Amino acid sequence: MAATNPIVIGIDAGGTMTDTILVDSDGHFKIGKAATTPKNEAEGFLASAEDAADAWGISLEELFTGVGVVLYSGTGMLNTLLSRTGRRLGLITTKGLEDMILMGRGLQAWADYSYADRLHAVTHHHPDPLVPRRRTHGVTERIDQFGDVVIPLYEHEAEAAARKLIADKVDSICIMTIFSHVNPMHEKRIAEIVRAEIAAAGAEILVYTSHEVRPVIREQSRLNSVLIEAYATARGRQQLRGIEAVSKKYGFRYGVQTLLSFGGLTSINHPRLHETMISGPIGGILGAAYVGKLIGNDSLICSDMGGTSFDMGVITRGQTRIENEPIMDRFKLNVPTLHLDTIGAGAGMILKVDPLTRKISLGPESAGSDPGPICFDRGGTAPTIADCDAILGRLNPDYFLGGKVKLDVAKARRIFKETCADLLDVSLEDAAEGMIEMLETDANSALRRVISGQGIHPSEFTLFSYGGSGPLHLAGCSRGIGFRDIITFQFAAAFSAFGCTTADYKRRHSVSTQLDIPSSASDDALVAFAAKVTKVWDDLTEAAVAEMMEDGHPREKIRTEAFLMARYTGQLEDVEVTAPLTKLSTAADMRQVVARFEEVYATINHRVSAYGSVGYSIMELGVVATADKVKPILVKRPLGGSDPSAAAKGMRETYIGGRWHNARLYEMDLLEPGHEVTGPAIIEHPATTLVVHPQDQVFVDEWTLLHYRHA
Amino acid sequence: MLDSTHIAMPLRDRLLDSERMMAETGCYDGITDLRLRQDNPLKFETLHTKLRALCVSAREMARRISASPGVREVGEMVVAIYTPEGDAIALSNGIMVHVHTMSRFIKWMIKQGYEADPGINPGDIFANNDAFIGTVQVPDVMDVVPIYYEGTLVGWAGAVCHELESGGITPGGDVCLAQERYTEGLFVCAEKIGTNDAIRRDYVIRCERNLRMPIYWVLDEKAKVASCIDMREAVKGLIGEIGLDYWMRVSKEFIEEGRRGQLARTRQLTVPGIYRGHTFYGHVTEGKPGFQPLGDPNWLYNIPIEMEITLDGTIKLDFEGTQPWGYHSMNCTPAGMDGGMFVTLTQHMNYEGLVNDGAWMGTELKLPYGTWTNPDNEKCATATSWALLLPAYGVFQRLLSRGFLGRGFVEEIFVGQVNSPMIEMGGESQYGTQFGMAHFECAAAGSGALAIKDGLDTAYVGWNPESDMGNIEIWEQNMPMLYIGRSIVPNSGGSGKYRGGCSFMSTWLINKTPHLRLVTSEHSSRVFDNAGMCGGYPAPTCQMHRVVRNTNINELTAARLPIPHTTGTDPHRSDLEKLVTGDHLTDEGPYISAPHKSGDIFTHSYNGGGGYGDVLERDPVKTAWDVENGFLTAESARNVFGIVVRENLDTDEMEADLAATAAAREELRRERIRRAVPVAEWMAQESTRIRDQKFAFEVRRMYASAMRLSPRFSSEFRDFWGLEPSFTFGEKP
Repeated sequence: MAATNPIVIGIDAGGTMTDTILVDSDGHFKIGKAATTPKNEAEGFLASAEDAADAWGISLEELFTGVGVVLYSGTGMLNTLLSRTGRRLGLITTKGLEDMILMGRGLQAWADYSYADRLHAVTHHHPDPLVPRRRTHGVTERIDQFGDVVIPLYEHEAEAAARKLIADKVDSICIMTIFSHVNPMHEKRIAEIVRAEIAAAGAEILVYTSHEVRPVIREQSRLNSVLIEAYATARGRQQLRGIEAVSKKYGFRYGVQTLLSFGGLTSINHPRLHETMISGPIGGILGAAYVGKLIGNDSLICSDMGGTSFDMGVITRGQTRIENEPIMDRFKLNVPTLHLDTIGAGAGMILKVDPLTRKISLGPESAGSDPGPICFDRGGTAPTIADCDAILGRLNPDYFLGGKVKLDVAKARRIFKETCADLLDVSLEDAAEGMIEMLETDANSALRRVISGQGIHPSEFTLFSYGGSGPLHLAGCSRGIGFRDIITFQFAAAFSAFGCTTADYKRRHSVSTQLDIPSSASDDALVAFAAKVTKVWDDLTEAAVAEMMEDGHPREKIRTEAFLMARYTGQLEDVEVTAPLTKLSTAADMRQVVARFEEVYATINHRVSAYGSVGYSIMELGVVATADKVKPILVKRPLGGSDPSAAAKGMRETYIGGRWHNARLYEMDLLEPGHEVTGPAIIEHPATTLVVHPQDQVFVDEWTLLHYRHA
Repeated sequence: MLDSTHIAMPLRDRLLDSERMMAETGCYDGITDLRLRQDNPLKFETLHTKLRALCVSAREMARRISASPGVREVGEMVVAIYTPEGDAIALSNGIMVHVHTMSRFIKWMIKQGYEADPGINPGDIFANNDAFIGTVQVPDVMDVVPIYYEGTLVGWAGAVCHELESGGITPGGDVCLAQERYTEGLFVCAEKIGTNDAIRRDYVIRCERNLRMPIYWVLDEKAKVASCIDMREAVKGLIGEIGLDYWMRVSKEFIEEGRRGQLARTRQLTVPGIYRGHTFYGHVTEGKPGFQPLGDPNWLYNIPIEMEITLDGTIKLDFEGTQPWGYHSMNCTPAGMDGGMFVTLTQHMNYEGLVNDGAWMGTELKLPYGTWTNPDNEKCATATSWALLLPAYGVFQRLLSRGFLGRGFVEEIFVGQVNSPMIEMGGESQYGTQFGMAHFECAAAGSGALAIKDGLDTAYVGWNPESDMGNIEIWEQNMPMLYIGRSIVPNSGGSGKYRGGCSFMSTWLINKTPHLRLVTSEHSSRVFDNAGMCGGYPAPTCQMHRVVRNTNINELTAARLPIPHTTGTDPHRSDLEKLVTGDHLTDEGPYISAPHKSGDIFTHSYNGGGGYGDVLERDPVKTAWDVENGFLTAESARNVFGIVVRENLDTDEMEADLAATAAAREELRRERIRRAVPVAEWMAQESTRIRDQKFAFEVRRMYASAMRLSPRFSSEFRDFWGLEPSFTFGEKP
């Protein structure tokens, strides 16, 4: 094993498993896994770290004293939200709109539902609000879209509301008024009044205002953001502190870092911690960007298949798309998040054949890990894709999770035959392979759809496949798309954790604007727009840099990049455009920005939809500030011979393409640069399995990345 | 070997042939066996899923392009893929109602010989919003593009958006004031609006010069065309993989399979037999500017519906006995009636998403010619056909639910949809420009109750189950009015063991405009246009509009005095009257009046849904929660449900007083027995009343017109009430 010690620990705590990856300065990796422990995440964190340390052959003390970075992406806040165990909140909002928390725009009654349930109206229901109506108080005031005060703030109502909430012993008071992102004066004044009342009462209550948490248009999303920040992050932060405490107990000398949903690292003292809630899957995109740089390709499709979902991220010529209104537990937020497309497709998906219509359905339910697929023999009775994989000999019944779970293939065969194959009147193997093909085709079409939205040819993209079930279904998911290259990893099962370790420190500051640029704007007008834009960017840069310097980053290490969100005037959706310049002074500069918008717009939407004659609107201006962090290094090793027999571990009967094959088996970790495997073959790892279809090939490159080549 | 001789025939012959084969074999296009499905069921299924996925993603792309809050914010859009003959194979989510209306549009062009003139060629774009050709109302503008594969027409891609402005006599899309076709707005009658994948510039100019807010329509048009092109290219890619012969056959098998699936599902979920239900609709316009003299002062509609479920699972809906069409905007075309049927089926029987026109083929509509469901005059207006459509299909939902109840599928029972009145506006915007818009927050009404839980509050409309009222900050960018209230309307859900969903009300302060025209539509008052089930009560009829002009709002706010945020819960005196001085108006039915200006206050309410089951069985604890959260007043809890609730002053929570509730309910039961009369006695009383014709003029005229049009209705009406064969109603006021 490696002579050096790990320098980075990356941990990704998912809903079921906590994955650890250890990386040393020579690019060696080890993976650890343990069950996630939602009540005290530090336990799962430590168990997973210990599993990885064991694999490395060092103690926990040796591990933690040696590393420079501990990077943790957890589920604490999400669990707080899901289990409704957060803090006791009070809300002060614009009078007349208090019922917003109960109405949830209507949309929250079905947001995040599957296609079928969206149509099937009897399944709809509202999520429980995070703050009860009785602790929601209205204050008379109104500011309009231009920031003008139309109805002045009734301060006496704010005082009364504050006193009532203090008497109700709330932990936090949230304040959200309409158009506060345009003019925050009423929110600020309410906050002052509330703080004065809290001080007068000698209470300890936190105050959150929506213009500070998320100064972006759409009040329902802004309200949800401020409520979730107040509701869930306190306990989340406590979990993170617990993780920092155990890390320090074992000798770690620095602060634990966590991941922002738009892909940067921040300390666990981040002021808007809800921005870290959707972070686990984001790790994969970061890891892909990092590996892409090594291999010299900046157009990448990242695909992560686990038990229930297939997440796809895109990097197009170095750019990742930001999603501005993600949904979290059915609440719509406006937190910038690296865009992921997700479909329900994973090895745990439950398969059904309707006895009446013989229609086949895959999911959306998943068997999860408890009881899990039938073959786990833990009480699962519904057939899943994993059962099909086991039936067809693609999964090794004695080597699942390195042999920790023995698969009962006979039981899976029996139940699958009764509930699926017989109803379809086809053979057991054909039914199982057909189901797998349906799943893979779903994923394959989803990938094509994602690529078609990018406006560039598939042959420019490299596909990265990871997640526990990614390599297992890689062949079918990627067939026929014409990728430039298809790559998977020895550490595929912990790739998201790996990705977290490659992130840089980052801040993203933005503000809503309303700059309407007529198509006939004169040069003078364009110069004036340029000055306005530059002023906003300068202010945002100053704020973002100051926040990073507070976290201890020296000014000279911080880089900034400006962006804008723009649309044709009158449209309701923006496209994000990275600014070609960070300072605009001339009309030509401004034209360059508009031209860049037109270019990005046309790649996302069809050219028929361009409508420049109505003018352009810049709706949001922003700045991303970045500082580098020490990163894992993938090591390049010279290519050896192509014969992989050093990794061979026998043969197994495997059903592929309508017949049984005698497939060769290989141990994934023993494959070396230069090795070539030709299918039919199965390449096994304790945490994942790569199926190589007949005549397809896998080539191990000098970075020990596995390249899948369709015949 | 697949039979590919058909595709070489001219399109019209092919369509007629397809219809003939359906008539002869009972199967779609004469497809009596699903052989591709039998040969490889998994390939078949996978392909269908793929088609659906590409529709869903094309719709998402279009939503990004749109300028209209109707499309972007609340999803008023649907896209679909059709066979060359115009039958839907696969569709996205969204306003499902239009899947079959687009089908009618394509078939209409084929039957009119469009392949000869103006020609159907690759890259062409056709648009339509004429309801007699195939849509529901003028604002529902649809675009279709033909899909050619190596020179052969292999299908169509289509998309519909509901436009927020259509250039009619009043601003907005649901042009309530229209009494004939000529005032409904800009018509596009199955026109070729583009070639070579580009929309014609002269068409865009026509839109720009004839609409109050052209950007909505034009960008939606671009969005629809972009999504159609996206689907077309995806379908061509797919055919490249599976081969043309396979595509031509499989697309038909999907539809035949859909038809069979619909029949099987009906057999599974319902009990065969004849079901009857009815509803009413009252449209009060007497004395309102612009409605007369063409239209009657007030309209009253009776909508009886008979549903037959046959042994093979066919659902037949018969509207015999309903009223003639009239000089108002609420008439509907057969296309609209089809649409209502389709959208209802997708919510109750075909929600798994592999639905297509096959489902519609498993049903039959009997629409008596000359009634509002099938006008014998194509010049009549249909701009607000939802006014009658929604109540009618609410009846269909309750009839289906009786079938579900009969089979024991209790979880599927749904008291159904209601009208959700729309507010539309135009004039001078806050930007100083001319504008016009339909406000689509109405896409979030209350639903009827279920048999296992309360209806959805502020989150359902029949035409689009993906209900959404949109963000205030987005709507306010599009209109010169500020929300000073958007709140749940207490007691707006129909009462029952499970109550109907409640509605909400908006209260606006008009701001930064000297001229704002406000018009509303789809208000039924004086009669219920919805109902309860199994003892549940209907939801209330439409609320009245309360308006104040020339208010003292600035004086009030300068002095920090209370201002109204809702009309309040006092039925005799609203909060507006209590708190604001100015010119007060309380207006029943659709609102139409002189322009408003800054400082005026306007209120508008949406509707709740009907209840399920006996009010005396309602859970007191749940009711206490309702009172605490403003869904119900304590007075209604006591008077209607017999539930006594009190506030716990320590926690501010409402709690049910179970002992007091038991006593109150006992009293209500005694009162029921005291008021009850034997059915025979009640029928005799009512029969006498009918003979004496002791009804309002509108009621007499309603029944007289139905009896004149329908001998069957007349004879059944007379038989039921024991009337003489010569009995008829007098029609004079």
